[in-house]
Amino acid sequence: MATIAGLNLSAPRVLAKATDTPKAQPLIKLNQQWRRSYHLGSGRMQTRPVRAAPEGISEKVEKSIKEAEEACSGDAASGECAAAWDEVEELSAAASHAKDKKKGSDPLEEYCKDNPETDECRTYED
Amino acid sequence: MAVCTVYTTQSLNSTCSISTPTKTHLGFNQKHVVFYSSNKKTSKRASSAVITCSADTQTVVIGLAADSGCGKSTFMRRLTSVFGGAAEPPRGGNPDSNTLISDTTTVICLDDYHSLDRTGRKEKGVTALDPRANDFDLMYDQVKAIKDGIAVEKPIYNHVTGLLDPPELIKPPKILVIEGLHPMYDQRVRDLLDFSIYLDISNEVKFAWKIQRDMAERGHSLESIKASIEARKPDFDAYIDPQKQYADAVIEVLPTQLIPDDNEGKVLRVRLIMKEGVKFFSPVYLFDEGSAISWIPCGRKLTCSYPGIKFSYGPDTYYGHEVSILEMDGQFDRLDELIYVESHLSNLSTKFYGEVTQQMLKHADFPGSNNGTGLFQTIVGLKIRDLFEQIIASRAKTPVQATKA
Repeated sequence: MATIAGLNLSAPRVLAKATDTPKAQPLIKLNQQWRRSYHLGSGRMQTRPVRAAPEGISEKVEKSIKEAEEACSGDAASGECAAAWDEVEELSAAASHAKDKKKGSDPLEEYCKDNPETDECRTYED
Repeated sequence: MAVCTVYTTQSLNSTCSISTPTKTHLGFNQKHVVFYSSNKKTSKRASSAVITCSADTQTVVIGLAADSGCGKSTFMRRLTSVFGGAAEPPRGGNPDSNTLISDTTTVICLDDYHSLDRTGRKEKGVTALDPRANDFDLMYDQVKAIKDGIAVEKPIYNHVTGLLDPPELIKPPKILVIEGLHPMYDQRVRDLLDFSIYLDISNEVKFAWKIQRDMAERGHSLESIKASIEARKPDFDAYIDPQKQYADAVIEVLPTQLIPDDNEGKVLRVRLIMKEGVKFFSPVYLFDEGSAISWIPCGRKLTCSYPGIKFSYGPDTYYGHEVSILEMDGQFDRLDELIYVESHLSNLSTKFYGEVTQQMLKHADFPGSNNGTGLFQTIVGLKIRDLFEQIIASRAKTPVQATKA
């Protein structure tokens, strides 16, 4: 285990996150996505703000859902019904990707990912 | 990229790729074909007879299959990170391009080979999962061309507009990853793959993931998410799921067994199914290769929080193939748990002690970094890096034989 000292654990953003939730939390937290947001309807579902997908994709998703519901009102096993719900899936995925792209575009975050050792990227424990 | 070497052997048939661009199989792309020979070296030997141009850095092709919303993008980010350097969209190109490029790797999305755009699919009542909505001839021609060292003009399917945009130039990289719904569907394309992966997400988990992805989106409800999964399921079962039998590695994601009757999808049981006898790929193992092992790392040396962590490993068969299966149920809460687990796994193809942990921490903000999905994706990334290095080394040794394979 002594060799651990040789590890280059470059996780500046994780450290930053850990300072947000100081009590009894371990120093470095691995991904906690499920905990953060899966409690549906429990009131504490969103610790991060609801981000709307950019440039009209949200509207497209909404519209496609309505259309799919209509397309399936006649025959739920038809190709048209499947194709319409497939469009919903495609647009939902596109909306989610667009949100991820937007989220990752903080210039300081980007810079610090590559240069965690620089002064402006230092994080403090207390 | 293409290196011309001189051989004295007689079996030179398949090594020269110069002839390929003249064939008509490239269709409308023919006029765009660029032959890559930026770094031509001609080494001469005294008694040599013929000069052949075998790309010694012939592109290694990896296939990744999974349904939409099942973690392909996350996997790609982990994979390209292991290869070194972040993968970015092509600079100055179409902002809606689906391609990612890093120093070593180019990732292309197979949706770009849709033959029917969104309107076309709607009119015909065909989903994107249906082979009729995809142009496998073009997919094969272009992947083959790239593998042979020839740049292609690949179409771009625009996921926002649902239309096919003007094509983009794809130059042959060291590693080409083709990711999408059908990388192993067409036998010709499948035969071009040096390694293939299938992400097999169980229905329960798929539902939970899509709730997480879509519930905040306007218009979506539990009903709409369920309806979408169900309406797509017949085509998924018919055209996507069967591809897993061809995969060299399958990552199966299931609900946990550590919590009785858990249906929340918070804690996951993840299985890494690794085919035996695949050239340049030797499966990871736990403690003793080939034995059946069940291991709970939590105990006197390592304290874990609820519901704990459980590993198992052993030989098995999968669609008639000999495989090794490594399974992790539960999740990591702390760094020392991950290090402890890494130190007990063997044949990880890491370059230094702790590399798996380092990779996981580097991307701690990616989904799955605390469970088996992140762990196994990282391990598969390391195995592919190793496979790539072995392929390159073997070609350097016996170029004629290597290109034949």
